[in-house]
Amino acid sequence: MKGSMGRCRDWTQYAFVGPALILLISINVFPLLYSIALSFTNVDLVGGAWKFVGGFNYAVAFKFAKYGAALRTTALFVCVAVAVELVLGFALALALKDRFGGRAFALTALLVPMMLPPAVIALFWKLVLNGHYGILNQCLGALGLGQPQWITDPDLKLLSILLVDVWMWTPFMMLIALAALNAIPGYLYEAAAIDRASRWKVFRRITLPLCAPLLGLAVLLRATDAIKQFDLVMAITGPNDPATQTVSALLYQVVFRDGKVGLGAAYSYVVLVLVLALASVFVRYMSRVQRREEAGAQ
Amino acid sequence: MKMRIFGLAAVLLLAVQTGHAEDKKITIWWAQWDPAAALQELGHEFAAETGIAVEVYQIPWPAYQDQVFLNFGNKQTDFDIVVGDSQWIGRGATKGLYLELTDWLPEAVDVGAIHPRAARYLCEYPLGSSRFFAAPCQTDAIGFVYRHDWFTDPAEQEAFAARYGRSLSAPDSWEEFRDVAEFFHRPEQKRYGCSLLTGRGYDSIVMGFQPFLWAWGGAWGDPQSYKVQGHLNTEGAVAGLEFFKSLLQFTPEGGTNADYFFNLEAFSNGSTAMVLDYFPFYPGIVASMGDQVGFFMVPRHGDQRVISLGGQGFSISTKTTPQKQEWAKQFIAWFSQTAVQEKWISYPGSFTANTELLASAEFAAAAPYNAVFAASLDYLQDFWNVPVYNELLAAAVRHLGAALDGTSASADALDALAAEHEMILMEAGLLEME
Repeated sequence: MKGSMGRCRDWTQYAFVGPALILLISINVFPLLYSIALSFTNVDLVGGAWKFVGGFNYAVAFKFAKYGAALRTTALFVCVAVAVELVLGFALALALKDRFGGRAFALTALLVPMMLPPAVIALFWKLVLNGHYGILNQCLGALGLGQPQWITDPDLKLLSILLVDVWMWTPFMMLIALAALNAIPGYLYEAAAIDRASRWKVFRRITLPLCAPLLGLAVLLRATDAIKQFDLVMAITGPNDPATQTVSALLYQVVFRDGKVGLGAAYSYVVLVLVLALASVFVRYMSRVQRREEAGAQ
Repeated sequence: MKMRIFGLAAVLLLAVQTGHAEDKKITIWWAQWDPAAALQELGHEFAAETGIAVEVYQIPWPAYQDQVFLNFGNKQTDFDIVVGDSQWIGRGATKGLYLELTDWLPEAVDVGAIHPRAARYLCEYPLGSSRFFAAPCQTDAIGFVYRHDWFTDPAEQEAFAARYGRSLSAPDSWEEFRDVAEFFHRPEQKRYGCSLLTGRGYDSIVMGFQPFLWAWGGAWGDPQSYKVQGHLNTEGAVAGLEFFKSLLQFTPEGGTNADYFFNLEAFSNGSTAMVLDYFPFYPGIVASMGDQVGFFMVPRHGDQRVISLGGQGFSISTKTTPQKQEWAKQFIAWFSQTAVQEKWISYPGSFTANTELLASAEFAAAAPYNAVFAASLDYLQDFWNVPVYNELLAAAVRHLGAALDGTSASADALDALAAEHEMILMEAGLLEME
């Protein structure tokens, strides 16, 4: 049987945790559950009468080709952007690992794109990539090269947005890779040098495996962010361009332009299930890699 | 002491009541452009006459639609009047956002003086129902601006006559238009034949395609049954789209994705012979290029000339107070008077639906594009204005864009668009399910 002191301590604990819990439930859990309820209705953004429509919104999300197309565009965007950013970021980190004159300046300059708001970057690049007066085409013209229509040619639009994303987020990969490289103990390299291991072997057997867990985390963080890609698409080509319509852009179009809040909620849940499935596969893979690393170390 | 407390209470009550009293002011939301600034000027005159202040809040075009409908989601809107696009009227009327003006409008405004096409497309929903949800504010149409100095250059005239066997003049038919565009298209000199409306942002590709669709015998669908198949994907419609596409070879780089602002730039930079845009964008061009420019109507195909309607009507928000709705009605009635309309059209880029003014010699002489604008109104038609207009518009942008980009054949694009439009109209309960 608990004494009055024990009961008092229980209440004190609840009093400390309660406010944070209530806040969390009201801004995270409640909207999540509320949007599930919305996905079974035909609620309009502008209000008015609405009714329960069962699984109709989910059926629509699978019936129209544009929903599948947005998923494919997003998948392509995430795979290419994250892969290129990983390779370039890791290469930059390797180049900047050792101390040299101007290293601090180079690091600072490389980090600037990451610090700017994405909407500002998008508008800035929209001017740079403009087919008529953009500085990129002005330079290409001065060199006697062609005038690619970066943001209007259907074959180049997605590539242009990818270029901007890579420019903006490669420094993030570089930063994490640099932290991983700096965490590798120096004696491992010394031992490899004594064994006369080649540079490639050192990279493959020491650098890469020891950086892998942190790089995996960086890939996960970047991928979850890239899946939500909206700012660049919205500002550069608009949310209704089939060549660049990502899931977030389509959701904007459905909810804020078509006013179909219920359909938007249903579609976002379809996407959420897919993302959770992919994320769990990735996390399991990363855990297995980490366990293998730990077993190897022992 | 009691008296002092009573006095204090009376002052407080008065203060509270004054705080609750509405400011004698109405707020109008419109897109950011010259006509909105002109409307604000007229608003000051209205305020001086009636004591009701008018604030015109301008929102950049790309964000205008999103902000208006997002605001309609609130219990009370931040505006009392919205100058809404013609296509929005179905959504506004059926979702209970626009105040119905059916009984009030004919009493307060001379409806007979409104150009019938403007009354039909800017004010009425459903079409032909005589139910009004808006009053005309800015009546608009698309039309061409061209390089008059190039057209009147003797050397160019001689070369054109030698090549095509007729004199060089502003084209009246699409076939003549193609010849003129081809003639002036000299990309090696950074000179281009034409720039049409093909942008993918909001509705420019649709506005650019419509004159071809209608002139070649197609239509968006049957406005009574809402059937689309057999109207939009006909042989004529495909031929119209093919012709539209064939003209894009004479455009500047990027001309397959040209919106209203792209075309302004293409003309203002002196590179393009003929450019299609809405008339309110032209005062700036006239101001900077003077008599170098001329204007002509959207050409015909055979005896069919159909022009995309533009413009917006005044609609009163249902989500504002009855007092503000009353003031809003007063403003609309005041604005619609012929004397005020006369002032309205004196501002650059502001156009009227008042038939008396449109027919006047003074209006025709006031600006170089006015006569062409007035003549264009008789040929106006509009896109769907049903509640799901935005989904229909978005689908049209995607499929027509695919046809212009060459990723889809014209016939396939129109077949796919017709099928998607029918699905959208069926889901909306407008087209009966088979």
